Amino acid sequence: MFKARNRRHFSEQCFALAARLSLIICAGILLFLLGSIFIQGISALSLEFLFTPSSSFGKSGGIFYQLFGSLLMVLVAALLVLPLALGTALFRNSYNNNTGLAHVMDQSLYALNAIPSVTYGIFGLIFFVNLLNTGISWFVGSIILAIMMLPTVTLSSYQAMAAIPKIYHENAAALGLTRTQIVRRVTLPQSFHGVVTGLLIGLSRAIGETAPIMFIATAFSGVTVPQSLVEPVSTLPTHILELAQQSTDPQALQNAWGASLTLVLLAATFSGLALFLRSRLNSEGHQ
Amino acid sequence: MNTVSLLNAKPAPRRRDATKAYCQASAVLSIVIVSVILLTLLIQSLPVLLSGDNGLFGARWNPDEGKFGIIAPLFGSVFVMLIATIIAFPIGLLTAIYISETRSSKLRRVIKSILELLAGIPSIVYGLIGVAYLNVWVADLFDLQSGRIILTAGILLGIMILPTFLTLTEDALSAVPQRYRENAKSLGMYRHEVFKGIIFPQAKVGIAGAGLLALGRALGETMAVMLVIGSLDRLPSPLFNPLSSGQTITSKLGREVGESAFGSVHFSALVFMSFILVSITIALTILSHYFLTRKQADV
Amino acid sequence: MSLLNPELGLIRSSMFQKSILGLSALILAACSAPEAVNVSGSSTVLPAVSLAADAFVKETGISVVVNAGGSGSGFNQLAEGQTDIGMMSRDITASELEKFKTINFTRTAIGRDAVVPTISSEIYEAGVKALTLSQIADIYSGRVDNWAEFGGPDRAIFAVDKEASRGTRQIFMGVVMGNPKAETPGTDLVTGSNNEEQTALTQSDSGIGMLSFAWLNEDVRGLSIILDDGRVIAPSLENIRNGSFPFVRDLLVITRSDMKPTAQQFIDYLLGPEGQDAVEQSGYIKVSE
Repeated sequence: MFKARNRRHFSEQCFALAARLSLIICAGILLFLLGSIFIQGISALSLEFLFTPSSSFGKSGGIFYQLFGSLLMVLVAALLVLPLALGTALFRNSYNNNTGLAHVMDQSLYALNAIPSVTYGIFGLIFFVNLLNTGISWFVGSIILAIMMLPTVTLSSYQAMAAIPKIYHENAAALGLTRTQIVRRVTLPQSFHGVVTGLLIGLSRAIGETAPIMFIATAFSGVTVPQSLVEPVSTLPTHILELAQQSTDPQALQNAWGASLTLVLLAATFSGLALFLRSRLNSEGHQ
Repeated sequence: MNTVSLLNAKPAPRRRDATKAYCQASAVLSIVIVSVILLTLLIQSLPVLLSGDNGLFGARWNPDEGKFGIIAPLFGSVFVMLIATIIAFPIGLLTAIYISETRSSKLRRVIKSILELLAGIPSIVYGLIGVAYLNVWVADLFDLQSGRIILTAGILLGIMILPTFLTLTEDALSAVPQRYRENAKSLGMYRHEVFKGIIFPQAKVGIAGAGLLALGRALGETMAVMLVIGSLDRLPSPLFNPLSSGQTITSKLGREVGESAFGSVHFSALVFMSFILVSITIALTILSHYFLTRKQADV
Repeated sequence: MSLLNPELGLIRSSMFQKSILGLSALILAACSAPEAVNVSGSSTVLPAVSLAADAFVKETGISVVVNAGGSGSGFNQLAEGQTDIGMMSRDITASELEKFKTINFTRTAIGRDAVVPTISSEIYEAGVKALTLSQIADIYSGRVDNWAEFGGPDRAIFAVDKEASRGTRQIFMGVVMGNPKAETPGTDLVTGSNNEEQTALTQSDSGIGMLSFAWLNEDVRGLSIILDDGRVIAPSLENIRNGSFPFVRDLLVITRSDMKPTAQQFIDYLLGPEGQDAVEQSGYIKVSE
């Protein structure tokens, strides 16, 4: 295999070998990651695990309220971000003439995307928990998650809107529709796929976030269904964090893996749906 | 691409256009949110910046004595990021090259989907993997008392940013038109020469963008690093020893924010560290977008 | 393709509306509820309080929300009004009181515990079973770095410390170094909760650290302390009960003067027979029968 004919050929062989080796390493890492999460988690996972509450702070019992808390927070976050992202994307696409303003908007969204998750948590702590005196509140957690999701959903919506063929707008304008009417009847329906895709991708990321919510929205035990907007909840990521710190206790570790597998499956479901929608959009095309 | 024809459409009649007003308000709100966040961080950083002798840029961190030296966490963050890039960039680049040379577009789509799945694994799960496996392996490998060291954090972080860097780099490589490769092949060039002479110069802007984005992610990662770095607020000795425990900005924030009283100089010092971090990551992201969206020069 | 796109119909479809309605109902289940009690703080006191809370909830239906974070964090949250009861495994410091001069704090001891200098079982079995306080201080100051100096195997000492705000650390440093906030140049690793520290010591084979008495087990053994007069005090239940072990401390719950009646109810429960049982079950010593 390695009989080089000359120096050029030798370099070529090395290059090919290096590329193949890297691929194998990547595949190996991938298998290790997915495999360990799956194999370790599957032994802890059962319907019982998913639906019983945790006890003796996580070492036994299940993850019911953590599951509930996670889903509650991200779904409410999605409800919060959708109107804002839609409005922003629509403005950028349909109502804005000013390229300077467009540039500022883009940079703002990129900046939001770049803020580390722990900084979001600190911001939530300062602004909501302390300055606005809400205390530890799951709803504040949803607000922060919504802000984190904003760039993703907005940019995805905007891309979908920008991809609408000009002919649709020309037809509509020729028919005498106003800008707003075009937005309502052309832009929104045609870009809906992109909006939902962006939302699903945002959800997939938001559900796995720990740092933004661990200071401001969560408690470790004793929480069931929150009775008001300003109570804490338990969530899967913070639960895993607590358990990971007890890693020599095999029971705690196993529950951590079970919770991790659940979390990964949820995130994968959201992003799987997004991929599915995106491929449907691509195959349907615009006639 | 702006919808030019749309803008030539008749604007709404004089009476208030609710939809338009709503969209304008949304856009303004989006910009305002960023400003509020940055401003809040800046204002909360002021106490420590204005308080006198606090060794802010020194190496000692002792809140009780009013010493808030941020050098150790800052150094740790950079060191960990370096290790992560040394691991992720070469492997990512070479694998991306391999993938971009794959003919079958169906296989490419499958690989891309898997990569997106990998990039979606939450960071806390990486942290769990680090605690359960990596810590132990590194400790055994180097015969250490504990695997909670800078090296472990670097390796874990490298694995985390690999999928993202891989996908973006592969996009950049695939964006180079196929005909360039075909022309080069017809001239009898080997693949590595094609890459070095033709593809890389075309794609390097995109690759740089991908790299900067990955760097930003590495710097901002909290949960995984927090569990495996050892939380030791000291510069390692000797300085570039990855086998000692250390501290990063994000790990320090994750552990200490809950413990410091809101409004205290201690808290303000932590917010200041966060502000520095945010400034760096925003700068990296904006720079990377600039690279990623630059038009390719024609050969 | 018709402008009357079926996608638009989704927003108006009844399924979508129903799910929005359902979600809103869930969210608007925001009404009054029996006042939940929020407790947060020390990871040492946490197990006892958590156990008692489980029983308390079953008995009274009042929910108790428990959070970790450390003694310092618990105090801060209590002082800032974010929690009803703070758990601390050390007393409130003067500087903490200084920061919140206007608030009246009440300390209630619900149990007794000791911080034990803990070493890896391998070192213990190799013969190092007791040390003086100044020897421990030497380890953490970095003056001594090898177990051979204390009659153990020829191995570097792996000193595990805790975060500075942890009650366990402050008690330990207060006794060993004379200063609860002492800096420790000899530290090799810093951990957070008792759980993390226990993990680190278990994984190491030449470690020393500080753990609450309730966390000792086969892998992490407690050192006896050699006093100045030559007596060797073992970290036994008896020595902790009678206070002769140097690191004995009270496990405290702290409240403000304006606390909720349900919070008071919970504290009374903690001091009652079931609560004290929970304290004992967690490995600590009761303060009342």
